[in-house]
Amino acid sequence: MNFRNKYILGVTLALSVFAIFACSTETEVEVIKEVEVIKEVMVDAPSTLATVLERDLLKCGVNDNLTGFGVVNSDGEFAGFDIDFCKAVAAAILGDSSKVEYVPLTASARFEALAAEEIDLLIRNTTWTSSRDRDLGNDFTVTTFYDGQGIMVKASSGYDSVESMTGATVCVLQGTTTELNLDDRFTGAGIPYTPLTFETNDPLQAAYEEGRCDGWTTDKSGLASKRAGFENPDDHVVLAETLSKEPLGPLTRDNDSEFYDVVQWVVFGMMQAEESGISSTNVADMAASPADPGMARLLGVGFDGGEPSDFSFGIPVDFMQKVISQVGNYGEVYDKHLTPLGLTRDGSLNALWTEGGLIYSPPFR
Amino acid sequence: MKYNIYNQIKNEKSLSGKLNVVRYDKNLRKIILQIIFSFFLLYFLYYLVTRSFNLDLGLSHLSSRAGFGISHQFLTDYTSNDSRWDAYFIGLVNTIRVSIVGIAFATILGILMGLARLSKNFLLNKISTAYVEIIRNTPLLVQLIFWQLALLQLPQISNALTFGELSVWSNRGILLPYVNSLQNGELWVLCLLIGLIISLVIRSYASKHKEENVNFFSPSIIAISVFILIAVSTYVILGVELYADIPHLTQNQYGTYIQSGGFTLTPEFATVLFSLVLYTGTFITEIVRGSIQSLPKGQTEAAKALGLNNYQTTTLIILPQALRSIIPPLTNQYLNLTKNSSLSVAVAYPEVFMVSRTIMNNSGHALPMLALILSTFLTLSLIISLFMNILNRQITRIGA
Repeated sequence: MNFRNKYILGVTLALSVFAIFACSTETEVEVIKEVEVIKEVMVDAPSTLATVLERDLLKCGVNDNLTGFGVVNSDGEFAGFDIDFCKAVAAAILGDSSKVEYVPLTASARFEALAAEEIDLLIRNTTWTSSRDRDLGNDFTVTTFYDGQGIMVKASSGYDSVESMTGATVCVLQGTTTELNLDDRFTGAGIPYTPLTFETNDPLQAAYEEGRCDGWTTDKSGLASKRAGFENPDDHVVLAETLSKEPLGPLTRDNDSEFYDVVQWVVFGMMQAEESGISSTNVADMAASPADPGMARLLGVGFDGGEPSDFSFGIPVDFMQKVISQVGNYGEVYDKHLTPLGLTRDGSLNALWTEGGLIYSPPFR
Repeated sequence: MKYNIYNQIKNEKSLSGKLNVVRYDKNLRKIILQIIFSFFLLYFLYYLVTRSFNLDLGLSHLSSRAGFGISHQFLTDYTSNDSRWDAYFIGLVNTIRVSIVGIAFATILGILMGLARLSKNFLLNKISTAYVEIIRNTPLLVQLIFWQLALLQLPQISNALTFGELSVWSNRGILLPYVNSLQNGELWVLCLLIGLIISLVIRSYASKHKEENVNFFSPSIIAISVFILIAVSTYVILGVELYADIPHLTQNQYGTYIQSGGFTLTPEFATVLFSLVLYTGTFITEIVRGSIQSLPKGQTEAAKALGLNNYQTTTLIILPQALRSIIPPLTNQYLNLTKNSSLSVAVAYPEVFMVSRTIMNNSGHALPMLALILSTFLTLSLIISLFMNILNRQITRIGA
């Protein structure tokens, strides 16, 4: 290529660059327009409640590999604490707790699945944090389980506190808040330790079982669930100390108030039912003759021949009756799935507020 | 010629005539196509750049406190109070460490197995064939996990094997006796390496000198004495004082087993090293075999005719010639080994990819971190290529 050719090419390139920059202002305008269009679509979009009613099916994002919370059991069915709240919401909206499609999700894919409307509701042992609530465009409804990070050790090791684990090796999942909490606790107290970080749970479990590490740290619920799966659960102890706050609960998309309210009050209703002494066995009798006006309002029946009160949730007024008869109250769900794991309820944050815990429902009024 | 196009277009009276000139001129057509292509390329780049300006692409978050511990450290003293940059460098050191050791062992294994594959000894031949066919044809990730689980089967630390109090073997690590120094040990090793290079350079100059002056001292003796001089003088100046470092296994007051002293080969490092060496070794084996087989048979026959034995034939005749066709594909394998070391994220060895991913998860700045990881591996690869190209030039020059 000689000088003249180069010259022609140079001028043309310069011109095309200029053309691109000239076009760029237009693109910005287009982007703004697009954003406006998206906003309009969002306002016009039917609420998730309407979508669920029309579809006659609730799509619930769950865990399929955490015993007690969400797991596929030997019959090939989803079962667990989180799963039961999916069932409760389906019973409330659609009148049938079996009208749920469970979508198993990984920890990293869960928020995107919710944002992309692949699921209506996410109940997958998800910790309520400010960044997840705000940045990721989710709304947390209620805390169904107050969890916290713990450390599991072998019973034979004789460890009884974090202080006694001086110089120990602790297995932890890589890139989690758990890893950071662990370091805060040990480094903060000046206790030397070695973290061994794994990308996935299976090699971590193998390393813990083979004694490669002295301790295994993750949420206490997760530890209890794994401990229950061991051949001899009694050979392992979860230390009493809690390293962090991990409130778990269902979440919906931002700006989806109708559906959000339904999910929130179904969970509150299950807590209130336990407090009022309504369970799946006596709910029919209670609905036939409620003991007091409060109970009548909760079950959506009239008290002493009066009219039932309607809270305008957009679903049948007797939704709590269906929830309690088909799924049970909060205590029943807890006892069914979490008590067998060794997650004692008495004295923990998950006891009813009347018994010193944090499980508390605002009034149905 | 093509500069007449301008005149041609000028001379054509009608517009369609002018367009026809443009359509049928080969050179002009090429230029126009290139302009259109560069326009779209530039537009695409412009799009990417403007999009990325909307994201926070800075690496400033790397200056903040790391907040997480790292299990494997080599020559460094990192704590979670150090910055994320420090954590990143620990990862980089771990990558470089496993790559260098891996490359050295894979090369030795590959050459031995490559020779064994051509051996007339039935057993050696079959062992080598089985090794290549089995390991080359299974995924590296699976091998990594296999080795990890295999090494976990070593005795637990409470039942650790001690070989006459000299070495401690458990699934927490294999501790070997080691020569350690009171101070400046690493610096001295560095001095030794520099001394080695200096003496090799002196040797090559001395042998050139000897070609002309036959009565000159033996170049090897000069080189060795220079090396010893450097080693001894730096030993005294740095006050190194070597001692035998015997590993110990003790329990602290809470009953935690504490390993101290000696050289520790952790199961994670060993897993990554074994897998990378065995896997890359198979490819090097095949490269060595192919290169030797590509030599004319007459070379071996001529060597035999001169009365050289098998060992002499291999080391003096075959390998030096085969090396010319070995080096270029060998470079590829070295690059593969270095890049494959990023798979060790699966087995808890904290190399640069794993540490960077932890930082990525903690900070939320995924894109700049990925760019950093990519440029890190690019730099490592280019450095390896550079060294191998220099080596290649040296080898092809000899006897050319």
